Amino acid sequence: MNMLGTFKPQKQQAGLTAVLILLCGIFGVSSENFLATPTFISIANQIPDLTLVAVGMTFVLVIGGIDLSTGSTLALSSAVFGVLLTEHDWTLFPASIACIATGSLCGLANGFISIKARIPSFIVTLGMLEIARGATKVVTQSQTKYIGSITDPISDPLPVLSVSPAFLVAVFAVIAGQFVLSKTVFGRYCIAVGTNEEAVIMSGVRIAPYQIMAFCVCGALCGIAGLTHAAKLSTADPNAAIGMELSAIAACVIGGTSLMGGRGNVISTFLGVLIISVLQTGLAQLGVSEPMKQVTTGSVIIIAVLSDALRRRWSSNG
Amino acid sequence: MKTAPLQTNSWISTLNSEKFLPIILSALILAQGCSSESPVNSSVNDESKKPRIALIMKSLANDFFASMERGARQHQESNSIRYELICNGIKDESDLGRQVALVDEMVAAGVDAIVIAPADSKALIPAIKHAKQAGVIVVNIDNKLDQEILAKETVTVPFVGPDNRKGAAMVGNYLASKLEKGDEVAILEGKTTAFNGVQRKLGFQDAMNKAEIKVVSSQSADWETNKANTITSSILREHPNLKAVLAANDSMAIGAVAAVKALNRSKQVMVIGFDNIDAVQTLIREGKVLATADQHGEDLATFGIETALDLLAGNLITPADMQTPVDLINQSTLTD
Repeated sequence: MNMLGTFKPQKQQAGLTAVLILLCGIFGVSSENFLATPTFISIANQIPDLTLVAVGMTFVLVIGGIDLSTGSTLALSSAVFGVLLTEHDWTLFPASIACIATGSLCGLANGFISIKARIPSFIVTLGMLEIARGATKVVTQSQTKYIGSITDPISDPLPVLSVSPAFLVAVFAVIAGQFVLSKTVFGRYCIAVGTNEEAVIMSGVRIAPYQIMAFCVCGALCGIAGLTHAAKLSTADPNAAIGMELSAIAACVIGGTSLMGGRGNVISTFLGVLIISVLQTGLAQLGVSEPMKQVTTGSVIIIAVLSDALRRRWSSNG
Repeated sequence: MKTAPLQTNSWISTLNSEKFLPIILSALILAQGCSSESPVNSSVNDESKKPRIALIMKSLANDFFASMERGARQHQESNSIRYELICNGIKDESDLGRQVALVDEMVAAGVDAIVIAPADSKALIPAIKHAKQAGVIVVNIDNKLDQEILAKETVTVPFVGPDNRKGAAMVGNYLASKLEKGDEVAILEGKTTAFNGVQRKLGFQDAMNKAEIKVVSSQSADWETNKANTITSSILREHPNLKAVLAANDSMAIGAVAAVKALNRSKQVMVIGFDNIDAVQTLIREGKVLATADQHGEDLATFGIETALDLLAGNLITPADMQTPVDLINQSTLTD
């Protein structure tokens, strides 16, 4: 009960930023060319997909749900996008709309079924994970589709900023997401439902539309992520983003989002994404072996969450 | 939902759906009346006993196995008098348990031969041993089973497939001809537990050592495009003089190309791949990938099936390994 009261996002974000700087420091010392502008530009151009998915995941976690289908939804959206562009000669704009619509529909289905039929979202989205992945393979005929340079306007670095439009979209999603979560009726109800569903119902609010909306937002963001993913690689890959739901959940959890609902902050989630990405990039730049990469990434996730939990316990005791 | 495997011949899929069960049962009874064959073989046409061959592949989401399946189905269609085919794949390449179960299921279904591309060169051996003990002929394609364990278990399984190490060395040598001594290159390895991945890495190393080219980084990207993209970006930044990326499959080559492009180093860095999937052919034509290797996945299963048919007919007394061709694919071979 005390959780909500002691949760101060600013303090936590300061902690996450410290972790981030520490990581950069470690990689800066141990790797020759890590601390340089191109590294950070390159990280910026790598992360839009995970950022978008993690923002969507934050909304679903905040209402006390979970979305395991995000990776598959991303893959299905990018598959629809790629096939429309390469085999049906659609232009970039309508294909992008179709891509985002695909993601939104998956999210809508997740939300509608789990909320209206009162089935735990864990199960519904687990089903969607399989359905969307299977559909992806049907759409692409299990073949990697090479899109080519049509998507360059999304992924090519902008002249002065050196970052891609995809990154700007992701940053916008973070800012807009945080605004929606903390300043709008929809966002406040999301947090309220996640904190105490009964109380919100008792006060006469019809919560179902808000809950379904949260899943839909998550699906739409996966659709946008599908767009940036396909653009980044110039391909629609049937195996895209396998396991990305877990990275997104990890980013949310590092950012202090509660898996029980009611607590979450989009900016903190973004810091979680940055920690994961810096770790990935730094370890690859050092040429660390694959097993050690996994061990290190797992350890950092646990340490980050552990330190936050301890800090919160101390501050609530003192 | 049941994970119903892909099936070609009609009798299993009809048996699976309860609606058709009465029809099938009556058909079986009728067939029993006409001939004295076992019910399993009396399904479609009952004049001759056609051998049934099960093809067990890895992930059908992978272009390579998708085209392998197409090749096998075409072969079966034009040889439908000679045998029946059941094709099965697994969800992804690490779904080992499912592949082991498939072998058992195929034995239980009473197939005469199994042609298998093992997802793991060791873990499938016990299941294959059981199959052989049940009298099923087994042919190993694509990814070679561990010879030491096979010997220890006293199982002999003929291997039909390409020499991945030689193939990788061939693409590597072609790349080396475009580089100079002392140049820096990086290798993107496949899954470290996959035998063919390890072989390709060794082949790349053979070629680079021969040409005295320096491999400054060798990391696994798990066969995946996006992972290859992240890792290549990092390697490119750590090694500003990098001249080439050698990817152990085409999916990773695609990721590498995107990374090279994003860092604006397309003019300095060459990329090679392995497998010759459609998407990479486009990249080769556009000059973004230098070369790849084609080990003729579509023919691989066919070779395996032919070997199985020979063994079934008793034409091959001692099962011997058979090496299938690997070809270099570059801009000039594609334009021909």
